[in-house]
Amino acid sequence: MTPVVEMRGVTKVYRSGSSTRTVEVHALSGVDLVIYPGEYVALMGPSGSGKSTLMHIIGLLDSPTEGQYSLGGEPVRGLGEAQLARIRNQRVGFVFQAFFLLPRLTALHNVALPLVYRGLPAAERLKRARKALESVGLGDRLDHLPSELSGGQKQRVAIARALVQEPDLLLADEPTGNLDSKSSDEIMELFDALHRQGKTIVMVTHEPDVGARAKRIVRLRDGKVADGGMA
Amino acid sequence: MGMNPLENFRMAFESLWGNKLRSFLALLGIVIGVFAVTAMISLGQMATAGITQDLEAVAGRSIFVQPNFNEGQDFSSAPIREEDLQALQALPVTVIPQLFTSIQYESKPGERRSMQLQGTPGDLPKLDPTNKIARGRYFTDLEARGGLAVAVLSDRAAKDLFPGREAVGQVARLYYPGGARIDLTVVGVLEPPSGIFGGFGSSATVYTPIQLIWNTSPTARRGEYAFVILPLKKGADAQQVTRQVQRIFESRYGKGKYQVQSTESFQGTLRSVTLILQALLGAIAGLSLLVGGIGIMNIMLVSVTERTREIGLRKALGATSGQIRQQFLIEAVVLTLVGGLLGVVLAAGLLLLITATVPFFKVYILSPTTVFLALAVSALVGLFFGVWPAARAAALDPIEALRYE
Repeated sequence: MTPVVEMRGVTKVYRSGSSTRTVEVHALSGVDLVIYPGEYVALMGPSGSGKSTLMHIIGLLDSPTEGQYSLGGEPVRGLGEAQLARIRNQRVGFVFQAFFLLPRLTALHNVALPLVYRGLPAAERLKRARKALESVGLGDRLDHLPSELSGGQKQRVAIARALVQEPDLLLADEPTGNLDSKSSDEIMELFDALHRQGKTIVMVTHEPDVGARAKRIVRLRDGKVADGGMA
Repeated sequence: MGMNPLENFRMAFESLWGNKLRSFLALLGIVIGVFAVTAMISLGQMATAGITQDLEAVAGRSIFVQPNFNEGQDFSSAPIREEDLQALQALPVTVIPQLFTSIQYESKPGERRSMQLQGTPGDLPKLDPTNKIARGRYFTDLEARGGLAVAVLSDRAAKDLFPGREAVGQVARLYYPGGARIDLTVVGVLEPPSGIFGGFGSSATVYTPIQLIWNTSPTARRGEYAFVILPLKKGADAQQVTRQVQRIFESRYGKGKYQVQSTESFQGTLRSVTLILQALLGAIAGLSLLVGGIGIMNIMLVSVTERTREIGLRKALGATSGQIRQQFLIEAVVLTLVGGLLGVVLAAGLLLLITATVPFFKVYILSPTTVFLALAVSALVGLFFGVWPAARAAALDPIEALRYE
């Protein structure tokens, strides 16, 4: 089976400072990580461990300084900005801690947004967006603005926006970080359900009880995988 | 793959509509700029049309021949003679020779004032329709040839000579500067000339047969005229006939003695003057477009900063930098186009109001070219001043952008 995520020796070095004195920060050093379709993986580690950098590289928002990375069997080294955007649009569904819904668009149009960049006709976009919203239990909130929704509902809209892309990978960054415990439970149950449906999920979190629901925990420490990098 | 460009227009409208007050304030500068440019250009065109019409009402399509005063000639050194008139008869013009001299009248006992005594052929309104009879009649060809003591008064002359009374039927008592007296029976009064050139023709003038002036004036010489008006016949080419008239006088008297001018050349001069004025005013109005454009750039830069997270999100969802750039460029262009449209509508309203209320502006002109130009320029302003903000939006790093608070 082709892994969704396959990383070999991924290193990320940030350089800063002047030309005479550069400071190098090794955010990641030699990360090996393989994630197969249908897996539910939690990415954990203290702040500064490099988990954000790793998530950005997985989601093609950032590129490794060294090492190999293939997403859905497709090596991404050397791809241009436009190609990376296209792959992101087709293969990665992001869910953010702060939801990032556009405040002036209704739930339906927020969910349809990624499909705009696929060149789908409006009717088709809205049809798929409606289905995605119904699948997260918000079929009765299509025309609500984000300001008219609770935190839990907003995050469900954001999850629907990721699902509408039919991505290889759901990439969630602290998805319950802005929610109360009741809403958190609901969102985590939704992720459980998505996992049962066979979706591949990578969740970045520092909350142990959130991470505990995943089937595998990848622990990062000082830019290295301390535990769980291989299935 | 790739998005429909129309999608960006829809998004632009949504985003601008979502920020109604700011969008309106941002495009206000463009509205004022386009309004000013459009109104200036159209008013210039309307003024030219008004001047041309007024000039035609006063002077018709005519050629004038008179001594070349610029070269030091005058009525006695360069008079127009009978044989010149005969030569002119061959051209497609009506030949109206005229003569004038100063005359005086008694405004109060012992006080004399000057007016102009002008000799014309009979039935002048028929020869040159720019002269219109208000009351009475013009003296006939027969009366003119006979040199009868009849007169037609300009509106001003009628008021000066017979204040508060009907002039037709009265006898006007006039004196040559030397003292010789003539009594003329008033048979008619002319209409005052219309339009802004009315002032030129509103002098106090007494029209009388040429023959009478030759018979009575101590200075006028028989067979000599002061100037000649040549109204063009229908279909005659003003420039061509003007050159023919010039040739006739040059072959007879040499260059520089006579001045030949046509109303079309006046119109040409006027047109170039108004064109220069138009260009000047247009340029000043154009400055306000520049200011408007800078306003658009400012608001777009604010918008890019404010929507940093939106840009980051769109990139994360698969928008390319090119698509982000396009989105903001189109927003700027939509903003300026809407502003331009409003400006044109406002200008059209102002022009309608002006034509309805200011008599000088008789025709309403808002040419499609002007409208097209105004809109094209506003779109270009949007494009030009949108480039930088759009480039900044496109260059945003999605990670930084999503982190932005």
